[in-house]
Amino acid sequence: MPDCLEVTVDKFIFRVATDRLYTAEGVWALEEGDRIRIGVTDFLQQRSGDVAFAEVRAEGRAVATGDEVATIETIKANVEVISPVSGAIAEANQALAMTPEVINQDPYGEGWLAVVEASEWTKDRETLLDPDAYFDLMQGQAEEEAQKL
Amino acid sequence: MNEQERKVVVVPCSGIGKTYGTVSREAAYEVVEDSRPEATELVALSLLVLGDQDARAAVRAHPAVTIDGCKLGCAAKMVQESGGTVAQGIAVLDVYRRNRELKPQGIAELNEGGILLAHAVAEEIAIVVDDVLAAEEGSTHA
Repeated sequence: MPDCLEVTVDKFIFRVATDRLYTAEGVWALEEGDRIRIGVTDFLQQRSGDVAFAEVRAEGRAVATGDEVATIETIKANVEVISPVSGAIAEANQALAMTPEVINQDPYGEGWLAVVEASEWTKDRETLLDPDAYFDLMQGQAEEEAQKL
Repeated sequence: MNEQERKVVVVPCSGIGKTYGTVSREAAYEVVEDSRPEATELVALSLLVLGDQDARAAVRAHPAVTIDGCKLGCAAKMVQESGGTVAQGIAVLDVYRRNRELKPQGIAELNEGGILLAHAVAEEIAIVVDDVLAAEEGSTHA
């Protein structure tokens, strides 16, 4: 478990890992050399509910930022996961086929979705949020959700 | 223990306003009203939450099959907190994962996939009920 920022909103605890970058929509990108591991945030997985199925695009497939890189079907909704990075999918998390619930259980670890061989990371990373910025944004989103309850 | 006392209580999730909660309740109704009426008794989760004495007595007297619509597992937790024993917990999501073609939708009224999924859950409950009662009968005769 990486170091995390943490906030409690209503009865829910949301964590933001401090070792990676984020999109405003709740997708994280973790730099691993030339490769970028991606997944969904704790907030997104909690808001979306229990995962029934997760499908990641095929290994070798090219993706651009803004392309759908995975689809997650939960008990509440179908979540389209948009790639935060351009490149080619080097690795898809095969464990998700049998145990998609790891996305709920360990969103920053075993619940990763894909590893992308980045082609324009220097440019792509400029569009992403650092942990503090995402934490503030997420907290606002969480409080807004709590108002609806 | 006489024949009348050998029962399994069925406790569905109360997930009001949630599709999987509706599936769990429809499955429970099918078992209790249609497929295994003599062998089962429905206990409403809300009564356990309220501490209703009859509901608590039922889960303490008989093994329970719980049906939960999400990972919070409220039905299973409340049976345990009420002093009962969960013979088996069934998660609607697990049944759906084995029957992906049965995509449930709707809340007050389930779509066809939801109705069929509830039936699939009910069939699993019925098997558990039969197994639990057979095991009880076996231990009685042993």
